[in-house]
Amino acid sequence: MAPPADFSTPDFLKAGIDADFLRDFQALAQQSWDAWLRQQPVSTGVGGSPSFAAAPNAAAGNEVLDRTLAGLKSYFEWMQGVTAGAAGVPGADWQQQVQQLFGGAQQPFAQAFQHIDGAGMEGFAGKWHSWLQGMQPAEAMASGPTPAFGQDREQQMQRQALAAAMLESMQASARYQALIQRANTQGMQKLQDKLAEHAEPGRQIESLKALYDLWVDAAEEAYAEIALTDEFREAYGAMANCQMRVRSLQQQQTEQLCQQWGLPTRREMDTLGERLQQVRREARASRASAAVDHSKEIADLRREMAELRRQLAGAEAKPVSTSRTATKKAPAKAVGKTSRLAVKKAAAAKPEASKKTTPAGRSAATATRKPAGKRAAAARKSSAARTPAPRKRK
Amino acid sequence: MYTPLRIDPTRALADINTFQRKLAAGMGHLRNMREPDYANTPRELVYSEDKLKVWHFTGTTPTAKTPLLIVYALVNTVWMTDLQADRSMVRNLLEQGEDVYLIDWGYPDGADRWLTLDDYINGYLDRCVDAVRQRHDLDAINLLGICQGGAFSLCYAALHRDKVKNLITMVTPVDFQTPDNMLSHWCRDLDVDLFVDTMGNIPAGLMNYVYLTLKPVRLNQQKYIGMVDILDDPVELENFLRMERWIFDSPDQAGEAFRQFIKDFYQGNKLIKGTLEIGGQRVDLGKVTQPVLNIFAEQDHLVPPDASRALGEHVGSNDYTQLAFKGGHIGIYVSGRAQREVPPAISAWLRNRD
Repeated sequence: MAPPADFSTPDFLKAGIDADFLRDFQALAQQSWDAWLRQQPVSTGVGGSPSFAAAPNAAAGNEVLDRTLAGLKSYFEWMQGVTAGAAGVPGADWQQQVQQLFGGAQQPFAQAFQHIDGAGMEGFAGKWHSWLQGMQPAEAMASGPTPAFGQDREQQMQRQALAAAMLESMQASARYQALIQRANTQGMQKLQDKLAEHAEPGRQIESLKALYDLWVDAAEEAYAEIALTDEFREAYGAMANCQMRVRSLQQQQTEQLCQQWGLPTRREMDTLGERLQQVRREARASRASAAVDHSKEIADLRREMAELRRQLAGAEAKPVSTSRTATKKAPAKAVGKTSRLAVKKAAAAKPEASKKTTPAGRSAATATRKPAGKRAAAARKSSAARTPAPRKRK
Repeated sequence: MYTPLRIDPTRALADINTFQRKLAAGMGHLRNMREPDYANTPRELVYSEDKLKVWHFTGTTPTAKTPLLIVYALVNTVWMTDLQADRSMVRNLLEQGEDVYLIDWGYPDGADRWLTLDDYINGYLDRCVDAVRQRHDLDAINLLGICQGGAFSLCYAALHRDKVKNLITMVTPVDFQTPDNMLSHWCRDLDVDLFVDTMGNIPAGLMNYVYLTLKPVRLNQQKYIGMVDILDDPVELENFLRMERWIFDSPDQAGEAFRQFIKDFYQGNKLIKGTLEIGGQRVDLGKVTQPVLNIFAEQDHLVPPDASRALGEHVGSNDYTQLAFKGGHIGIYVSGRAQREVPPAISAWLRNRD
């Protein structure tokens, strides 16, 4: 399309397309869209028609698809709106036009922020609100806490606390939503500022997608600025804390119902879990501690055993007088008795020889099975097998 | 005077028509697509405990002398490191000759609600490190901590200095209260005790929702509008769906560990203040004296670059290297640039210290 000679009004408002054609096209597009949607497994709203709300109660499997379709639907409707505006408002100021395109009920920003204040919480709170209303008169909900009496006093007080918490939560959400709306308004201003930078040949926005992307940049910038303020931080914290307070009170009531019905409660499960985890920690610490103690003891014993074997091996190769010395030095329990017995037996059998050749090892029988050198080597091998290999070091 | 808008109505109608056509045709492709797999680089299970698993990646012969253990965050799954064959940090590290292990924390349930940071860091992580050390008969191994896993690795390296030879942190928050940290800003007024006492474990859906609201229009809407353009491209669509799978297939957070992480790291900023205690032991970043490579993403909206850069001021190591990557928190693993730049940089740095 050739550039128009007069740029005082947006050229897309000077469309040469017939308005009736546009309406027909839009109707056709809408029918096509609706027909296509009927084939998709989206969650349904009232009357079975496709619901593009964020659908917090939707089946988990459809949640992402629902959200995706909601975004696409918003974008589609926005494109239609822009195109309709192209034929419908000739001569309008471009800034006003932009306000209409992004500021109305169909503006895509609203969809992006739908249910931002209650991921999955709204449906949950809504159910409880209905339940609560069924449990007590509406005026009690509205009039705030009043003194309670009698046998049901505690339950009444809890219900009042829950009602008050819900009210507080709604107020916190409203405060948060007001900030989101402020971000939306500031986003519009930023969009206009960004568009103004494009008001020169070669930089003009020529497609719906380019206009949408520019709007996204502006909206995100404005949102980020608001989201980093102290006011937003406080509102965000208050909203989250209020929702948790509501949920906590709801859980309290559920606990009581479960107790009445003889069902195990979450609190009981939590207590068990906490105790179990503590026992696991203690058991592990105990095992680790025992492992350290035993390893030290085992290492000491191994060292002692190795020393004894060395002494034994040395004694085999030396005269009796030396082996006696070794026998005396060795611990009495394991080595002394055996060696003494061995010495006696050997002495009884060969009195003269025993004085010279009987080793002071574990037993005479052992001592005679292998030559001294081989026995010492075997002892070293056995010791090495039980001792962990030294770690490689880099 | 020029107007900024120069939208041709004929073209606008064509855009709408194209959008609808692509959507209608693409949804047919979408219905016929199966759940995309991750890269599934060959691996063997070498250690498991409760829901945790330590995987050893196989199929190549490592040339590195010291194995590398990847410590991922508790949020999201570890498969971001091995997303698809041509976007796999793990696979690229293997190709560089590294011997790669990975801790898969699993999906905590109610039984894990009481796990603390002490249980995770001095318990699970320590035993995983021991398992790898024993396999290689080594005193110390290399650690690569990612995001929250990087914060864990820093704590671990400070508390178990003899077991960590070299430490790599990726997109790791160290100063949790930089002015541009939106997540930190939001949770400053959160009553985390009430939150955890009420919720128990923190649902993954809630965590994801918070992440989406960091950039609500871009992540809730613009991304899906962009998807329409690739609906007729099976390969691109599969990549898109794989990423969606990774984003939304997330584990819940163990309540007690979450409580402590928010209180001590985000609200208290104790890691850089030197007042953090894990299992009764003070975590002093000055005691992290091992060589440290700190990699961060310049366009990271979850962990702002300054939150990571702060490590240089607090770490005790005399061998500290910093690497800025041109990309975002996820792009640092999956973008084409990341494949070319990040694993080779990690490997080269390690080789000089192997």
